[in-house]
Amino acid sequence: MTINRRDFLKVAGLAVGCALAVPDQVNASPSSKDLNEQFAMLYDATICVGCNACTMACRQWNGTEPETDARQLYDAPTELSADTFTLIQLYQGGNGESFVKRQCMHCVEPACVSGCPVHALEKTADGPVIYDPDRCIGCRYCQYVCPFHVPRFEWDVARFPVIAKCHFCYESRIQKGIGGPACADRCPTGALIWGKRGDLLAEARKRISENPGRYVDHIYGEDDAGGTSVLYLSAVPFENLGLEDLGTRSIPEISEGTAELVLPGILIGGPILLGMIRLTAKRGGWEETWPL
Amino acid sequence: MAIVTKSRSQIPVSFWPLLVLTLIGVGLAIYRLVVGLGPTTNLNDHYPWGLWITIDLFLIPVAGAAFTISLISYFLGRADYHSIIRPAVLAGFIGYSIVGILLFMDIGRWHQFYNIFVPPWINLHSFLEEISLCVTLYTGILILEIAPVFLEKWGYKTPIRWIERGIFVIAGAGIVLSMLHQSSLGSLFLLMPHKLHPLWWTPALPLLFYLQAVYTGLGATAVVIRIIWRALKLPINRELFRRIGQAMSINLMLYAAIKVGDWMGAGEVPLLLKPDIFGMIAWLQFLIGIVLPLGILLSKLVGHTAGPFWAGVFALIGTFIDRLVISWVGLAEPSPVSYFPSWIEIMITVGMIAGGFLLYGAVVRYFKIFPEPEHAH
Ligand code: SF4
Ligand code: SF4
Repeated sequence: MTINRRDFLKVAGLAVGCALAVPDQVNASPSSKDLNEQFAMLYDATICVGCNACTMACRQWNGTEPETDARQLYDAPTELSADTFTLIQLYQGGNGESFVKRQCMHCVEPACVSGCPVHALEKTADGPVIYDPDRCIGCRYCQYVCPFHVPRFEWDVARFPVIAKCHFCYESRIQKGIGGPACADRCPTGALIWGKRGDLLAEARKRISENPGRYVDHIYGEDDAGGTSVLYLSAVPFENLGLEDLGTRSIPEISEGTAELVLPGILIGGPILLGMIRLTAKRGGWEETWPL
Repeated sequence: MAIVTKSRSQIPVSFWPLLVLTLIGVGLAIYRLVVGLGPTTNLNDHYPWGLWITIDLFLIPVAGAAFTISLISYFLGRADYHSIIRPAVLAGFIGYSIVGILLFMDIGRWHQFYNIFVPPWINLHSFLEEISLCVTLYTGILILEIAPVFLEKWGYKTPIRWIERGIFVIAGAGIVLSMLHQSSLGSLFLLMPHKLHPLWWTPALPLLFYLQAVYTGLGATAVVIRIIWRALKLPINRELFRRIGQAMSINLMLYAAIKVGDWMGAGEVPLLLKPDIFGMIAWLQFLIGIVLPLGILLSKLVGHTAGPFWAGVFALIGTFIDRLVISWVGLAEPSPVSYFPSWIEIMITVGMIAGGFLLYGAVVRYFKIFPEPEHAH
């Protein structure tokens, strides 16, 4: 067997070239701040009276259109939409009655941020997950990967639709020093409050221990789906409120682990393997060398 | 098919319907880009992806034939595969072009699609980004691999020599890029453990997608070659077919082992026995797409051209079912909204595929893609 030096160099060059292209980026969540210091909201379903002050505040601050009923008499969205970043839903059933507020959960390790190809969705160091339409290509992968079915798309806009979801009023209020999320600042009952995640968790724990029997003994979002920045307390089981049991693992964990393993693995291993095959295969004449 | 006609003076009958379909598709595609997704598709917030993505997920492993064939012929040293490199690479290039166009149709903010190439914005943890980059680069590689066909006709000798000299690097890069994006297509769904049906969701998705791409590509090759070689009255190399069949069966067995292992390991066997639609589809897919082709290939049939041909047909059907479930049916959300593609979505898809056939036919007619029939004996 004679090894052709030129071929060897070609293969080696390919291997090195690919190896250089290997990602050396570590940005699973750029949140440098301690989790307890990040902003969060606490929604206590046992206090909420369903007045919709929060949803009106959201409309005013974001300039979204009301979604009226057929008689144009009532702003009555039943689901999140491109125009409705948050809404109050009502559960009535075997386990009693409860309102529940819906919006982006601002996950601690958001699947949407992990999946977005162009970093149009970003986890800020302060906690909120924000969106930049100038980067977004409108692929809607974020809609698929969000475990809470949150991101919505402007289907009826021709040029050019954007992804719509709650952004914690991060750029419009918090960064300008106006206050917290419009909804939390407007809530008249104290059912919805905002602050540091650590403080809110302590408050939630206090409420549970001081009112035995009032709450389900669980703070939804403390570690569900790897933790969220919107925390829930409830008297009825969380599944009834549409807050499913997603386990405590963060969603992007498996995917990002695979990315870190498979990408460099194939980029480096592939050329090396090909080179080895090429060098050990009998040269000239293309004789039978492999059992395929 | 257009390619059947050898005489250049007469236009084959299939030309006109294909041309009409293509033109309708192009017209509707432009309409879609102008008026947006809402008026033209049935996509919605519960089914953000539809027909186009399903077709892409299916076309990519089929067009992956180009990668499998070049792996075998350039690196595993099989001279007998050389006669099918050109048809496979051309089909690959056209397949990937259709994928690219359909993806462009699908993205809502197409005016800034190039953002996927803007370095500071590239998210290397996103498999979607990785697929976009790989598919783009790989299409470039396919252009290089197919370029000699045109260059030789037009008499440019020097660039052909460059390409021939670098063919191992070019083909090697194509293979690495294919391994990446074929597996990453499966990794796309790793972020949906709570959405994709458990019978399909597994951390092994990238491996399964990769193996599936290999055997589907080989199957597609067997199917297409038998049809075309017969139409052109070329002698079929039985030995080559047997080898394609064997390569297929190795990959099918690996796939089956991992799939069954995953079902058992994750304790999902009860789901298979549940009499619901998903259990049924899983069985159907496994029997048609794996067991049947394996049965054919492990029998004596593998020595006849019909063996790998039919194995290929069933593998293609199985892969289609799999990709359909993963991109559509198995992602069903608990919501009253459903999805079925609109006629515009369907006609754009049909138009692009018709255009692909048209292009393939035209290239085959005017350039040397297939080996010449042997007149002498
Ligand atoms: S709830 Fe969904 S959209 Fe919001 S941060 Fe989490 S994954 Fe992203
Ligand atoms: S639709 Fe936009 S924000 Fe969502 S994943 Fe795609 S590029 Fe990112």
